[in-house]
Amino acid sequence: MSDLLTAAPPRAEAAPSPPSAHPRRRWRTTLVGWSFILPNFLGFAVLTLAPVITAFALSFMDWDAFSTPEWTGLKNFQRLLRDESTKVALKNTVYYALGHVPLTMLAALGLALLLNRRIGGVGFFRAAAFFPYITSMVAVAIVWNMLFHPEFGPVNQLLHVIGVTDAPGWTTTTAWAMPAVIVTSVWRDMGYYMVLYLAGLQAIPQEYYEAAKVDGANAWQRFRAVTLPGLRPVTFLVLILLTVQSFKVFDLIVVMTDGGPGRATLVLSQQIYRIGIVEGEFGYASAISLVLFLLVLILTVAQFWFNNRRERR
Amino acid sequence: MIRRRMLAAVGVVLAAALPLAACGSGGDETSAESGPVTLTVSVWNLKDTPEFQALFDAFQKANPDITIKPVDILAADYPTKVTTMLAAGDSTDVITMKNVTDYARYASRGQLKDITSLATTGDGAKLAGLDAFKQEGGKYYALPYRQDFWVLYYNKKLFDAAKQPYPGNLTWDQYADLAKKLTSGSGQSKVYGTYQHTWRSVVQAISAAQTGGDQLGGDYSFFADQYKTALALQDAGATLDFGTAVTQKTGYASMFETGKTAMLPMGTWFIAKILADKKAGSTDVDWGIAPMPQRTGSDKVTTFGSPTAFAVNKNAKHAAAAQKFIEFATGAQGAAAITAVGVVPALRTDEMRTAYFGLTGMPTDDGSKKAFAPDIVNLEMPVSDKTSKIDTILNEEHQLIMTKQKALDAAIAEMGSRVKNEVN
Amino acid sequence: MTTTTAPRPARGPLGSAGRIIVYAVLIAAAAAILLPFAWMISASLKRNNEVFTIPVQWIPKDFQWRNFADIWDQIPLATYLRNTLFLSTVITFLQVLTGSFAAYGFAKMRFRGRDTLFLAYIATIAVPWQAYMIPQYIMMQKAGLTDTFLSLILLQAFGAFGVFLMRQYYLTIPDELCEAARVDGLSEYGIWARIMLPLSKPALASLALLTFVNTWNDYMGPFIYLTSNDLWTIQLGLRSFVGQFDADYAMMMTGSVLSVLPILVIFLLGQRYFIQGIATSGMKG
Repeated sequence: MSDLLTAAPPRAEAAPSPPSAHPRRRWRTTLVGWSFILPNFLGFAVLTLAPVITAFALSFMDWDAFSTPEWTGLKNFQRLLRDESTKVALKNTVYYALGHVPLTMLAALGLALLLNRRIGGVGFFRAAAFFPYITSMVAVAIVWNMLFHPEFGPVNQLLHVIGVTDAPGWTTTTAWAMPAVIVTSVWRDMGYYMVLYLAGLQAIPQEYYEAAKVDGANAWQRFRAVTLPGLRPVTFLVLILLTVQSFKVFDLIVVMTDGGPGRATLVLSQQIYRIGIVEGEFGYASAISLVLFLLVLILTVAQFWFNNRRERR
Repeated sequence: MIRRRMLAAVGVVLAAALPLAACGSGGDETSAESGPVTLTVSVWNLKDTPEFQALFDAFQKANPDITIKPVDILAADYPTKVTTMLAAGDSTDVITMKNVTDYARYASRGQLKDITSLATTGDGAKLAGLDAFKQEGGKYYALPYRQDFWVLYYNKKLFDAAKQPYPGNLTWDQYADLAKKLTSGSGQSKVYGTYQHTWRSVVQAISAAQTGGDQLGGDYSFFADQYKTALALQDAGATLDFGTAVTQKTGYASMFETGKTAMLPMGTWFIAKILADKKAGSTDVDWGIAPMPQRTGSDKVTTFGSPTAFAVNKNAKHAAAAQKFIEFATGAQGAAAITAVGVVPALRTDEMRTAYFGLTGMPTDDGSKKAFAPDIVNLEMPVSDKTSKIDTILNEEHQLIMTKQKALDAAIAEMGSRVKNEVN
Repeated sequence: MTTTTAPRPARGPLGSAGRIIVYAVLIAAAAAILLPFAWMISASLKRNNEVFTIPVQWIPKDFQWRNFADIWDQIPLATYLRNTLFLSTVITFLQVLTGSFAAYGFAKMRFRGRDTLFLAYIATIAVPWQAYMIPQYIMMQKAGLTDTFLSLILLQAFGAFGVFLMRQYYLTIPDELCEAARVDGLSEYGIWARIMLPLSKPALASLALLTFVNTWNDYMGPFIYLTSNDLWTIQLGLRSFVGQFDADYAMMMTGSVLSVLPILVIFLLGQRYFIQGIATSGMKG
């Protein structure tokens, strides 16, 4: 009985693979496997992968969207090393990700645990948590800017009440603009990831909890032994998605601060947009995208590897 | 390894295929078209920008064999879409140039047809703001149909209540004084003496126009006076502080039309909006215009402005009809059509001015009429291939100055050094 | 069948006092979370030049109920609604279908190149759309698909997100189930249809909901690909209130409030599926 507590729920990867030693069997499996993937992959390859590869190829060229691309080798990347604004954008994006990813995960998980029960009206509360994600971005930006107003905003008024004398200027200052944006983005995204966590919580069989209770585990121990391991695939999904989406953040920044004041909240997607579309230098913009892609790829692969290691344990 | 090399090869092939897409039909039309023609014209926010429909209606009436099909693109992201369309070899006939910077980019990259003949003959040569469209070799690729410039709007009722004379020829010091005197109230009922909108042009473009400074030059010490005035206004509470205006997305139209500000430096495009709002009954502001405040000791009225123009797409299907449309729109008939909806045409004649001031809701005092005829209208931002980069840098530093995140001298120095280092 | 998730007595013996506290916390949190929506509603009932007053006026001076009637005339909102509904439904359906189908291949079948391919999928999510939007557009233009719904459907129905999400959920379904089915002679396709799909209803519901919401609120895609006004979606309609020099925020908020309602309805209807847990130890069944 107790192995149900300590052992993680059956891991798909760890299960012994079907006897695929027979070559024809393996060939058939490969074929069938590919047949599942093909419909989606075909569309994906033609419509997304091809433009992405083109964009990466463009990073070695000079292109203004109208004339013939000119090969320039590594010139764009050398320029990137010297480009102050892009470096600022990179720093800001990492700052944003470091704040956004853990906070949103915690908030989403917390909400999912809180709302994964059958109390009356739980549907309403879940909808409330999800609301920020479906609210118009413009409204989100305006209201949060209002909440963060240095003089009239409730946030600072609250801070005054509890005795803080030098309340920050939030989005009107360079030092506190990004924290304000991070708070807003956590508020906005937590409902989205809560949905994923809720679905994940459903996948954990009740019997595991019951067995754990029989074994005398309290709520915290049950959480650690049953819930967390059971949520591992979802947590992995959430982590990757959050990381990727944090590095790509665009709409919220543009509507809330437009990269300002100055370059305090300028992020990479914005920089790519400005350089590519506003200034017409697609080759250089593609180079920046390639660097962003590699960065996220490294992080993703690291997370994959880490996750696989834990699963094999 | 092999897979990666294959991917790279695929990428190069795809990239090389791109320009082939951009080469559309691009044929020159040597003969005039006969028979009915549908002309496509790119516009923004068709239903809210009355000048387009006015022009189209007038043109179609005068040319019954040409039907105009507007390509409606959202104003907010107009340049993005036009760039994307042109990159893919789109064949929309007439492309409206929302600002001169975008025009410079499209023209220098060969996306527009040469219409120099229209610019150098007849009414074309008289258009205000035409210079901005001159490219290398004296060629023109677009013609302005409207030319807005900046004036000082004021609220007569608020001036009467404060017992101040209506503004005439103000210096910046007088303007600042007036603003302080006209500020009253607090909290919800606060009325500001003036409202300086958050665009950098409000400070930088007028400074460049009146001091002769070059916004592309790399030395921005000429901005100092204007910034000192702007910051002083903010410190004195005579205008809404920049941080609030930006984060709360304050609209200058609401500020002025609800009587929250006594003065407002703004472009002449606002006139059409006031007229429309008064007609619809959503405001009853009693307004007038005066020339922009000038530097002490100057005897001329210098302000800045921007033209809006039409251009012919290199890949246009009906180039001849497109040219005909541009000729019409920038000529007397087009000017009359847009004057009727309160838009300031590029073709400025006495008849236009009289017709303009004859519109319902226009102020009829002499001061306003004089304000409509400034001596010098400088281009808001000089045109070059570095313009958009410099614009970004200047805007970023502008925000830092106005939110007091950086001292004025440090920011002006930083503007210069950034422009010199980052823009080549 | 096994039980659905029973309420976890996390609070222990607190009883009704505990429940009241929980409810109080939930309601306070919900109120805080819904603040921007309250502002949206307030703005939608004002005149445009009253929306941004400093400080903010939560209760409008005169309620402009007519905004909700006028908006249908100001922009062809009914057409936009229809278009958006069509696009969202079709794209959601295709995403869920192709995504769950492909995810089975990635999760349950072993073949060469599987993991590398999967990595490629995930990695492309990392590339911001701004980077490849022009090459993609040029390609669609050459195919003659611009200014059609088909362009958006094709672009968004074959995303990596759906594949990723479903694969993660499929991983929680024990291999033994599939093995047993194979032994019983079920084809892989049969396993997918008869075992994986029914067992992953919460995941399917989540994917459908999130895809629907993302498509409903998508601005850039329709903006770039839909030129004709009669093809526009709600987001484009709302953005059309932003003029060249200023914006009609009151109307925009009216439209936003109207636009949120269908999603709210779908969420409230669909969120039951998140709690109708289906225990994966279907070995009992």
